[in-house]
Amino acid sequence: MNLRPGGTLWLLRHEMRMFWYTNVAAGKQGKRRSASWRVVGGGLAIWSALHVGVFALLRAVGPAGDLPARPFVVAVTAILLATFLFMLSSALKASVETLFDRGDMDLLLSSPLPSRSIFGVKLAGMAFGVAVLYLFFLAPFAHVGLLLGQFRWLAIYPVLFAMAVLAAALAMLLTLAMVRVLGARRTRVVAQVVGALAGALLFLLSQAGNFLAHEKGPAASAMVQVMAAAQSLEAGSPLLLPARAALGDGGAVAIIAALGLLAALLTVRLTHRFFVQGLQQAAGSERATTSVAPVRYRFDRSLASVVMVKEWKLVWRDPHLVSQVLLQLLYLLPLCLIVFKKDALQLWAVAGGLTMLCGSLSASLSWIILKAEDAPDLLQTAPANAATVRRAKLAAAVLPIVALVAIPLGWLLLRAPLAGAVTVTTVCGATLGAALVNLWTGKPASRGEFKNRGKREIAPRMLELANLLAWSALASLLPLALGGAPVDVALAGGLGAAAAIALGTLPLAWMLRYRVR
Amino acid sequence: MTTTPALALTGLSKHFGRPAVDGLHLTVARGEFYALLGPNGAGKTTTLRMVAGLLAPDAGRIEVLGIDLAADPAAAKRRIAYLPDDPMLYGKLKPTEYLEFVAGLWGIDAKAAEPRARELLAWLDLEKHAHELTEGFSRGMKQKLALAGALIHDPELLILDEPLTGLDAGAARQVKDLLLSHVAKGGTVILTTHILEVAERLAQRIGIIQHGRLIAQGTLDELRVATPGATLEETFLRLTGTA
Repeated sequence: MNLRPGGTLWLLRHEMRMFWYTNVAAGKQGKRRSASWRVVGGGLAIWSALHVGVFALLRAVGPAGDLPARPFVVAVTAILLATFLFMLSSALKASVETLFDRGDMDLLLSSPLPSRSIFGVKLAGMAFGVAVLYLFFLAPFAHVGLLLGQFRWLAIYPVLFAMAVLAAALAMLLTLAMVRVLGARRTRVVAQVVGALAGALLFLLSQAGNFLAHEKGPAASAMVQVMAAAQSLEAGSPLLLPARAALGDGGAVAIIAALGLLAALLTVRLTHRFFVQGLQQAAGSERATTSVAPVRYRFDRSLASVVMVKEWKLVWRDPHLVSQVLLQLLYLLPLCLIVFKKDALQLWAVAGGLTMLCGSLSASLSWIILKAEDAPDLLQTAPANAATVRRAKLAAAVLPIVALVAIPLGWLLLRAPLAGAVTVTTVCGATLGAALVNLWTGKPASRGEFKNRGKREIAPRMLELANLLAWSALASLLPLALGGAPVDVALAGGLGAAAAIALGTLPLAWMLRYRVR
Repeated sequence: MTTTPALALTGLSKHFGRPAVDGLHLTVARGEFYALLGPNGAGKTTTLRMVAGLLAPDAGRIEVLGIDLAADPAAAKRRIAYLPDDPMLYGKLKPTEYLEFVAGLWGIDAKAAEPRARELLAWLDLEKHAHELTEGFSRGMKQKLALAGALIHDPELLILDEPLTGLDAGAARQVKDLLLSHVAKGGTVILTTHILEVAERLAQRIGIIQHGRLIAQGTLDELRVATPGATLEETFLRLTGTA
C-alpha cells in the first residue's frame, strides 16, 4: 500500500486517525490524549456479547440453502430502506460539518494536495463514520457466519459500506446543490434541520397509518402498507436487489458494491471543484452585509430580564439546537394525536404524555441554558448577584415550556378538573425537577456538546431520566386512583414507588451538586 | 486625593500541582498604566484571573481600590473590568445586545449606558456592524467589542490579558488610544503583553514576573540601570535569563 506522505492513502490514514482521536481517544483539555479505556472496554464487552448471541442464533437457524422466502426479503428491504434514511441523516450532518465547521480543511486546501484527493478522502471518512455504528451491530453476523461456514453473512460488509458510500455521496451532492441554490448561510440551517429531522420523519411515517386512519378503518402503519405493496414486486425486481445482496446473493452483492464504488468515483470526479467552491462560499457565509439601519438599545431591563432575553435569543438563533430540542416533540406527536382523536378521553395517556413532553423539554432547555454558558468568565467577573442570574436562567428554561403547554393544560382542566389538576402538578414537578437537576449537577459545558451530553455526565442523565419516568408514571396512575378505579396492590405499589423516586431525585441531585473549585 | 492604590497584592499564591504564582507582592497606583511582562507560564494570566475573581488564591490578599476582594467581591467587581485574551462573547448576539447584557450585569443606569455604548461602538469603528451576529466577526472585531463591553461601566481599574494579540495595525492603534485615554481620565490600566514595544511605549511602570514571583519592577529607565542604552527586549531577556 502506497503510504508516501502527500498521497491519497496517506491522507486517508490521517483521516482515520483523526476519527479515532475524536471519537474514542478524545483527551480532556490540558490532559494527555489517550483512549478512554472504559469506553473501549465497554464497547468490546458489548461486541463480544453480541458475537455470542449471534452465534447461538445462527447455529439454531442453521445454514439455509436458497434465498429466504419473499416476505422475509421484503422485510429486509424495509429495514434497509430505514437504515439508508438514517445513514443519509447522519451523512447530511457530516457533510455540513465538513463544509462549515471545516476542522482541518483550511490546512488541507492550502497544501499542494489535489482537491480531488482531499474530497475523496473526506467522502471516504464520512462513509466510514456513517457505517461504523451499523457495522458494530451487524458485523458479528459476518464473523460468526464465517466461523460456522455460513459465508452468505459476509455480504454484510460490502452491502453496508456500499450503502454508506451512497448515503455520503448523496448527502454531499445535496449539500453542495443547496449551497449553489440557497447560498451557504441558508444551506447550513436547512441541512442541519433536515439532517436532524430525517430520522424522526421515518418514525412519523411509520406511525402515519395510526393517526390518519379512520376510527373504523384499518389502522395499518405506513411501513406495513409499504411492505404490502412490496409483496407484489417481481422476484427479480431491482428494488429487492439490496435485500438480496444483504442476504448473500453473490450477483446482487457485486452489483450493489459496484454501484457504491461508481457513485463515489463519479461524485469525486465530477464534483470536486464544486466541493472547493462550496468550501470557499461557506468560509464567507458568516459575514453578514453591513446595515445602515439606526442602532436601537434596550438598556431599561432588569438584570433578570436581561439574562432571560439573552438566553432566549441564543437558543432561538441556533436552528440546529432548536431542531434537536424540537425533535423530542415530534416523537411525542403521534401519542398526542391518537389520544386527542379518541372520543373516550384517555386521561392517563394525556397526563403521562404531557408530563413526559414537559420533563423532556425542560431537561434539554435547562441543560442548554444553565450549563452551556458561552461566557462563564463574564458572569463570574460581573458584580451581578449570582443567585439572581441562576434564577433568571431557570426561569428562561421553564417559562417557554409553561407557555407551550398552557393551552392543552387549560383544555384538560376544563374537561376533567381533577385529572387536570393532577396533570398540572406532575407537569410542574417534571419540568422543575429536570431544571433543578441541571442547575445542581454536572459541569459547565459548551452548546456543541448538547447531543452527546449523556456520554459526558452519566449520573445527572440518570437522575433526569428517573425524574421524567417517575413524574410521568405518577401522571398516568394518579387519575386512575382518584377516578374511582379500584386501588389494588400493584397500583398502590406503583404510585408509591413513582412518588418516592420523583421526590427522592432532587435530594440526590443536591448531594451530587457541582462546586466550582 | 486618596492614596489607596488601585491594586495591592500581598503574598499572593496559587498552585496547580506546581506553584503558578508564588508569594507575589505587587502594588499599582491609581491612574497608572502598568505592564506585567514575563515568559510563557510565568504566572501573569493566573495573577490577573485571581484579581478578576475567576480563581481563588491559595494564600495572600488582593485589595482592589482599597476593597478586600475576598471580603466584598461584588463591590470590587463593580469598579473593575477584566478582558481576557480570548474574548468573552456570545456568537449569537449582536454587538448592541451584547452591550445591553453587560450593562445589565453591571447594573448600569439606562441613561448612562446608551450614550456610552454609542460612543464606544463609534470609537472602535463597530457601528456599521451593529446589526451582525458576533460569530461572523474577525478576531480584531471581537477583541474590540469585548473591550467596549469592558469599558461600558467606566471601570476605575481595567485589567487586560494580551489585549493586542491578533489585532491589525489599525485596530491595535484604536485599542491603544482608548487605553491611553482611559488613563488620561484618571483610570488605571494593568495589561500583560508579549509585544515588548507596547509596554515600552505605553506603560509608566513595568513589572517582570518569572516563576510566579516579581523579579523586577520600575520605569523603563529604572529597569535599564544595569544595562544602560539597552532596549526593553534586551533588558527583559537578561532579567529572565532567556538571552
